[in-house]
Amino acid sequence: MRGSIVFALAMLPVAPWASRSLDAQQTDQAKAAAIQERLKRVGADVMSRPDRANDAIRELKAILAEDPRSAEAHMYLGIAYRVLGSPEMIGEAVAELRQALELEPRHVPARFYLAHLYLNLGRATRAREELEAALAQAPGQPQFLALLGETERQVGNPRRSVDLNRQALQANDSLAEARYYLALALLDLKQTDEGIRELERVVQSGPAVVDAYVSLGTAYIEAGRFDAALETLARGTQIDAARPELRILMARAYRSKGLLDQAQAQLKLASSKRGASLASPFQQDQQVEFDLRLEQARLAAKQGRLDAAAESFQRVLDMDPEYAPAKRELAEVRKQMQERVQKKKPGGQR
Amino acid sequence: MIERAWPAALVSLFLLSSSSPAGQPGAPNRRARFVDVTASAKIDFVHSSGSSAQKHMVETFGSGVAWVDYDNDGFPDLYFVNGAPGAPNALYHNNRDGTFSDVTRQAGVAGEGAGKTAYKTGVAVGDYDNDGFLDLYVTAFGPNVLYKNNGNGTFTDVTATAGVAGPPTEWSTSTGFLDYDRDGDLDLYVANYVEFPMTNSPFCGLRKEGYRMYCLPTLFDGVADRLYRNNGNGTFTDVSKQAGIANPAGKGLGVTFCDFDRDGDEDIYIANDMVRNFLYRNNGDGTFLDVAYGAGVGFDSNGKPQAGMGVDCADVDGDGLPEIFVTNFAEELNTLYQNRGDGIFEDVTQKAGLGSGFVPLGFGTKMFDLDNDGDLDIHVTNGHVIDNVKLYQPNLTYAQKDLLYENIGGKFRDITDVSGPALQVPRVGRGLAVADFDNDGNLDVVISSVGQRPALLRNQGTPGNNWITIRAEGTKSNRFGLGATITVETPEGRQVREINNAASYQSSNDVRLHIGAGKAKTISRIDVLWPSGTKQTLQNVAVNQNLVIKEQ
Repeated sequence: MRGSIVFALAMLPVAPWASRSLDAQQTDQAKAAAIQERLKRVGADVMSRPDRANDAIRELKAILAEDPRSAEAHMYLGIAYRVLGSPEMIGEAVAELRQALELEPRHVPARFYLAHLYLNLGRATRAREELEAALAQAPGQPQFLALLGETERQVGNPRRSVDLNRQALQANDSLAEARYYLALALLDLKQTDEGIRELERVVQSGPAVVDAYVSLGTAYIEAGRFDAALETLARGTQIDAARPELRILMARAYRSKGLLDQAQAQLKLASSKRGASLASPFQQDQQVEFDLRLEQARLAAKQGRLDAAAESFQRVLDMDPEYAPAKRELAEVRKQMQERVQKKKPGGQR
Repeated sequence: MIERAWPAALVSLFLLSSSSPAGQPGAPNRRARFVDVTASAKIDFVHSSGSSAQKHMVETFGSGVAWVDYDNDGFPDLYFVNGAPGAPNALYHNNRDGTFSDVTRQAGVAGEGAGKTAYKTGVAVGDYDNDGFLDLYVTAFGPNVLYKNNGNGTFTDVTATAGVAGPPTEWSTSTGFLDYDRDGDLDLYVANYVEFPMTNSPFCGLRKEGYRMYCLPTLFDGVADRLYRNNGNGTFTDVSKQAGIANPAGKGLGVTFCDFDRDGDEDIYIANDMVRNFLYRNNGDGTFLDVAYGAGVGFDSNGKPQAGMGVDCADVDGDGLPEIFVTNFAEELNTLYQNRGDGIFEDVTQKAGLGSGFVPLGFGTKMFDLDNDGDLDIHVTNGHVIDNVKLYQPNLTYAQKDLLYENIGGKFRDITDVSGPALQVPRVGRGLAVADFDNDGNLDVVISSVGQRPALLRNQGTPGNNWITIRAEGTKSNRFGLGATITVETPEGRQVREINNAASYQSSNDVRLHIGAGKAKTISRIDVLWPSGTKQTLQNVAVNQNLVIKEQ
């Protein structure tokens, strides 16, 4: 898989430095205390119960109806929208987190989640700004270091990513996302064996985060370990069967093993599960579309369906005209098509 | 007190001189119809969007249009904002005979200063210095400009002295004058959009030739709006932060002002693009509180933010409380929020019969009484933002038809198809502003379009219905009475309206208040609540006149 993958959500507890907004303090004390109690409850839900995100959103909106200037409520609402993960709410998630920081710049967790969103939107520079500001307020915070490391990887500094993620792991050896980001950086540095080892540790530690399975499956395929890839990816589908990346990768592994019917079946599943359009603001959605088209092209080529392969490669190039492998493979497909025509001409085949 | 009244005699002149389908045999009914009179009015302005291969978002914005009676002759003149850097804005003088003359050069409002480098967007009209002449404020992606009306047909760029340019790279959109602190002079609200990197415009869409498209605002951070308090001496102070309206979450496109809670001061509603809308309740002490969550006006009925574009507020159900109408993106409904009077609004879009707004992408809008039957109808101009949208969504088009809704007892009927050929023409509509430019008693509409000529749509009227136009003249209040609440009683009923010319999208409407009186021959009573708090009553007022009410 090309491009980058970030954790769908790092479950970060709200740090104690997340203080109440000044305005809330000025409201009636009893009312403020009641709101604070509700915020505590809903905040815990937002952080630990993604299945309750919609309930949390309803409650947070109700709190904001009573106290429109509650920085905490805006922050939790932004995080809850982030949990939902739908493209149509990503702008609102950013907006709520930015409003929270406008009301209370000390809400460092808001910066962390904002950075996550910026990475999803392909805005690594803004993510870096937020994380550097967060680290200035909370030096050495391992989750911030880890995400900053991933940000550095995404802007092309994998070595700095390795350093930052190792710092994060020094502070907290069980921090799965730091290990995950470290593995991605190692893979970028072509330290494949070490990268796979780190990813295996992440998957074995058991976080229900599909991205780790996607990355490990990808690494196995690129190392030619197709059975291991299929086993890992199948486990990923048990966590989230709706993620098309898993199906695309399984198709790739099956195709590499010569099991073309199984590959076809996986691509059919991937097509039915992708919901995002090219207009999606999520980089990841556009990457899925690209990878799906590429795998469809390669499978069609392998099946000898040259017209379909050519069309699919062309669709890949519509998304990225400079993608050299697709150009090369399309040229090869066209060459084969010409040879077929030659063979069909009278006297062309002896 | 009636100071003076404009004769309505021109009505007959226009009826005689124009071809009136409503008057022809076989005309379907008495419904108002619009005729495109742009060419005969001698308006030859063409908007320049500055479209480029880089697909800068601002190229999609279009620019606003304003009705401004800059010479106080009782006939509203027209001001068109022009988008691309260097493209001149245009001021057209109303010749009182159905034609206009381009007076831009002598008036000095082409935008030759900051406008040479800025993409010009919106326009506000108001008399900020209370000298009796309407001034102009032009927003831009770049420095904004305040033109002081010198009272002799010319204007002076006083931006630097007034201190209202804003940062040089800020992207401002809709704007409006209001007297939020009720001190008798007009303050200025400026909606801001996003931080857009002009020098490094991101690539969106397919990389195939012809498929590059304009990016979504989601990719960019919002920019806080600005509120400038009028110091009363020709200068303004930026009070955005202390007033509580500096929220960087906003991506403001539409602005309007109404006294939603009827507490005597103007509140502010902002339509934001793809993030929730804001309703700033005026606390009466110089500060505002965004009560959109409590009021239920931030999202659609499914709790989703919409791509808000244009906005207006007015009482469409006759209960005396202003509703909010917001135009939105293609495949979103335009939203009508009904004011329940308890601080809460209800999204009644579907219930009110506004479902036909789903496919088009709405921009400029105004609620006005197009047929003088005593209730407010709705006009929306439409046009997509992505010029090559058909490549991606074959069911959508770049140019789109307007929508016109007739109010029938608080519910709406789409009458676009039966309201004249002018409404059957697809355009890339953006700004829309309303005024009775020919003083015939029927409200006319002007629409600005991206990269195209504007359309001046003359309302041919609904025979038999009466009307009154009120021009408020403040003495303690601001000179044109912006923010005054007018209650009109006739034997047919009671109407509560506010004088507020800031509505629609990047545009400004006539400062006069036009009220349809239906079959009533006399207005039984007019109550004026001035922004100063002064109350004034007139009784037994004749219909079909342009009435000036001076604050006592």
